[in-house]
Amino acid sequence: MRLSLRGIQKSLGGTPILRGIDLEVDDGELVVLVGPSGCGKSTLLRTIAGLEIPDAGTVRIGDRDVTHAAPRERDVGMVFQSYALYPHLTVRDNLSFGLSIRGTDKKTIDARVDEVAAMLGLEKLLERYPREMSGGQRQRVAMGRAIARRPALFLFDEPLSNLDAALRSEVRVEIKRLHGRLSATMVYVTHDQVEAMTLADRLVVLRAGKIEQVGAPLDVYEKPASRFVAGFLGSPAMNFLEGTAEGGRVKGAGFDVAAVSPSGPTVLGVRPQDVVVGRGEEAGITLRVEVIEAMGFEAYAHGKVGDVSFVARLTPAELASAHVGEDLRLVPKRVHLFDPNTERTLVDD
Amino acid sequence: MTERAARTAALLAMASLVTLAVPTPASAQETIVVWHAYGESEEAGLLAAVALFERAHPDVHVDLVASPFGAFASRLRNAIPTGHGPDLFIDAHNRLPSFVDASLLEDFGALSPELTADLPPALVGALTYEGTLYGVPLSLKSLALYVSDELAMGRTLPSLEDYAALRRELPDGTYAIAWEVDSTYASVALFHAYGARVLDEEGRFAAATPEGDAALAELARLVADGSVPAEASGDLVRDLFRSGRAVAAISGPWLAPDLPASLHYHVLPLPIVHAADDGLMVPYSTIDAALIPAGSPHPELARELAAFLASPAGSIARATAGHQIVASVSAWHDPGVASDERLVAFHDAALAAMPMPTHPHMDSVFGPMDRAIRKVLRGDATPHDALAEAEHRFVDETRPAPPLRDPTFAVVALMLGLFAALAMVTSRLRDPAVRASLVRSMPAYGWVMHAFVAVGLLVVLPLAVGAMTSLYAGQDLHYVGLANYFDILTNRGGDLLGHGSFWLVLGVTVLWTITNVIFHVGIGIGLALLLHRPTVKLRTLYRILLVVPWAVPSYVTALAWRGMFHRQLGAINAILAVFGVEPVSWFAHFSTAFTANLATNVWLGFPFMMVVTLGALTSIPKDLYEAADVDGASAFQKLTRITLPMLRPALLPAVAMGAVWTFNMFNVVFLVSAGEPDGSTEILVSEAYRWAFTRGHQVGYAAAYAVLIFVILVGLTRALPRERAPGAR
Repeated sequence: MRLSLRGIQKSLGGTPILRGIDLEVDDGELVVLVGPSGCGKSTLLRTIAGLEIPDAGTVRIGDRDVTHAAPRERDVGMVFQSYALYPHLTVRDNLSFGLSIRGTDKKTIDARVDEVAAMLGLEKLLERYPREMSGGQRQRVAMGRAIARRPALFLFDEPLSNLDAALRSEVRVEIKRLHGRLSATMVYVTHDQVEAMTLADRLVVLRAGKIEQVGAPLDVYEKPASRFVAGFLGSPAMNFLEGTAEGGRVKGAGFDVAAVSPSGPTVLGVRPQDVVVGRGEEAGITLRVEVIEAMGFEAYAHGKVGDVSFVARLTPAELASAHVGEDLRLVPKRVHLFDPNTERTLVDD
Repeated sequence: MTERAARTAALLAMASLVTLAVPTPASAQETIVVWHAYGESEEAGLLAAVALFERAHPDVHVDLVASPFGAFASRLRNAIPTGHGPDLFIDAHNRLPSFVDASLLEDFGALSPELTADLPPALVGALTYEGTLYGVPLSLKSLALYVSDELAMGRTLPSLEDYAALRRELPDGTYAIAWEVDSTYASVALFHAYGARVLDEEGRFAAATPEGDAALAELARLVADGSVPAEASGDLVRDLFRSGRAVAAISGPWLAPDLPASLHYHVLPLPIVHAADDGLMVPYSTIDAALIPAGSPHPELARELAAFLASPAGSIARATAGHQIVASVSAWHDPGVASDERLVAFHDAALAAMPMPTHPHMDSVFGPMDRAIRKVLRGDATPHDALAEAEHRFVDETRPAPPLRDPTFAVVALMLGLFAALAMVTSRLRDPAVRASLVRSMPAYGWVMHAFVAVGLLVVLPLAVGAMTSLYAGQDLHYVGLANYFDILTNRGGDLLGHGSFWLVLGVTVLWTITNVIFHVGIGIGLALLLHRPTVKLRTLYRILLVVPWAVPSYVTALAWRGMFHRQLGAINAILAVFGVEPVSWFAHFSTAFTANLATNVWLGFPFMMVVTLGALTSIPKDLYEAADVDGASAFQKLTRITLPMLRPALLPAVAMGAVWTFNMFNVVFLVSAGEPDGSTEILVSEAYRWAFTRGHQVGYAAAYAVLIFVILVGLTRALPRERAPGAR
């Protein structure tokens, strides 16, 4: 089922949260809304669910305008960050809640519950109460509750943020698998870039109530539209060096690299993994190493270029040439250039 | 008062002069303490007589201590056995047997020949109990007939029928004659006119006779034809007569001070009744007597003072200064006393009256008789049936205590139980692991010791004493085994579902508890849901206002509601009248009286449930409702499927507590309906109270009731469903 958002605006307590959101989600697509806290991604999701009514704009699900429809008229399923399981009901009753209040007959309910339980591995937990289960199990019940009703649209509100790291990657894979099996339209909210990158068919980066960039995850990663997007995606984050472009080179304190850019002040963006240790004089960036984090398969050298913090990824082979307190010559294999005033990307290299 | 003060000062001055002049010990002046429960005017008479006595006995000082009338008897009962009693006290003669049975009185001894000659033998006889004279009569009072000069227009009306006949010429709302018809004390005069008695010499109920039936029928007739006002309290009688809405009133000397000087009336003995072969209406008289308590420090002096108070000189002082209707015959020849026409009239009325019987069963007559009268006046029973029922109830209340049982079996069983417990404890202590853990826990036991002691003293000990008491019966509290329980559970051999049976009262109590809890919970949840909505303005104000009924002491609320349900003056009937509804006699039928009690207790009980619900509501996470919204639940489904089930764990204990409180809600039942009509709205705890305090003080029987209530409540709280709080692991 298609989802279409046009010009969505919403203020809460006088503070504008959403400032004109336009977004089209195709049938069967998994779109991830990502952004830092307070960027409005949860409010946008709640607006889609009908838990908030937008001040302006329209929400369409399929070919229906549901902007002012109550949540129950929208045929959406939602997984809450807190799971919001009904504590007084067993897993079975939690799963069948949405069906039974719609008056579905018992046979269908039982079949649907069994099907969902099998899909999520909840068969042995059906008679338990939420208080008798672990966080991961509750999370799966919450998903099961959304699935059981077979809604037209699935909404996930940071569903993994209460899980520990190991469980998180496990459930992440499970969600991806579910999406494949159900081939349902899903909107997924997270502030975690790993979730965003791994899950999304299409990524929507939000910043202060507006869409900063929309695209396939790798496209967004490779070609960030702005310094904000570039800094938000990738871990460790991209390094930014302020300098001046002139004659096919960008120069600044501690660096001088070849890059095509209109003359004038420029921000040079270099991902930590986009550098190699150079030999001789051709090296473009001089890093004064302060800390080395070695992890075996790779290492990170933290230090200063000029007086700006900078992180470089080193291969185990390169690690030998890095010493704390000494300079390290780095050659960027790939750079991003940003306008220091608009923060938009200047040139895609 | 000032005169007396001056005299006391003079006496003190003289005493100090004497002390200065002659070195005599200070104990030369004896102090006699006299307790009484007189009002101001009567006390003045006593003061005057005492002053005369002190003048004749300069070495004696009399200390008068007044007590409120209502607390007087219990004060005596507490003080005398512990040696804190007075030397002499003045009280009504009808309490004599209960005082004698409790060994509170000293034998008064023979009266002097002069006193014997001067006091009416009937009055002296009334103070003689089982052949012993316990006091000396001082004064007497009885009901008399007040006749308004204006309304009677100077006519002398000798008979009750003459007054009733006036009804035809009186405007609406004006009665021929008013008295407290519901009260046996006031209406007994009519029974006497017919030759009926309510209690015979042997202490048996005597009103269930054809004469009694006739008297009660006549009473019902007088009320039915409007000659006499129905449901008249003492206050109503006073108001009617004072405002000229009753030609005559039957009341005691206490009415006179409340009447304005502008009202002209005269006082007469009660009239005759033509229908009763011209029988005279004879009220009861009560005799105020000077009595010497057991252990009086100065019994001889006290006797001397008592004799002086009863003597003509003391009597004249009391009559002139205190308007006391003195017992002394010769005092009435004193010109100062004889010239007080009204006092003479009261005296004539009192002499025509019959001293209230002193039999210990007299106390047990009033309850059943009052009920019988009310039942007939309501039209719920014929006089014959009502009096037969009253007799049955009287016999029930005055039945002899179960016989003394041999307590050996109970003692042996108790000892065996203790031994078994002791053996169990010692065998457990043999286990070194138990001993070690006990030693380890010693500091913890130390920390909870104060609570343990407090609960033991305040809860466990009274409970144990109460349970023990239930095995005893009779005024002497002898051991009767389980006889009290047997009597209660078998309704003393009567119909198991008959009137006043434990099982019937239990049924009413259960109905009472269930209906109350349903309303408490329903209204409490409803209001909490309303108040919980964030859109409600002035929420805090409403919350405070709605908690007020809970904060007001329940007896205040109960009395206020009782007033609102009053047939003539109550707000409820006034509101109903606006809608054209006839005034309802709320306490005349079980259903309406029960409703009145219910309304009062619902008013008292819903705020608690509301507060509990409000607290529980805030603990329901908001996102559960959002999840339900998304799941497609309507507002009603959210209420029934989320809110109510989520409130359950918080409400269950509240409901259990509310049920226990309601089960034992004495205040409301006792103060609002007072068991009316006919004891049908009594609940177990108010019934237990009546056995303990009004039906011949059957303390053991009442204690057995209390133990049964306790057992039922323990069972009830066990049976109520319990649930772990959601989220608890």
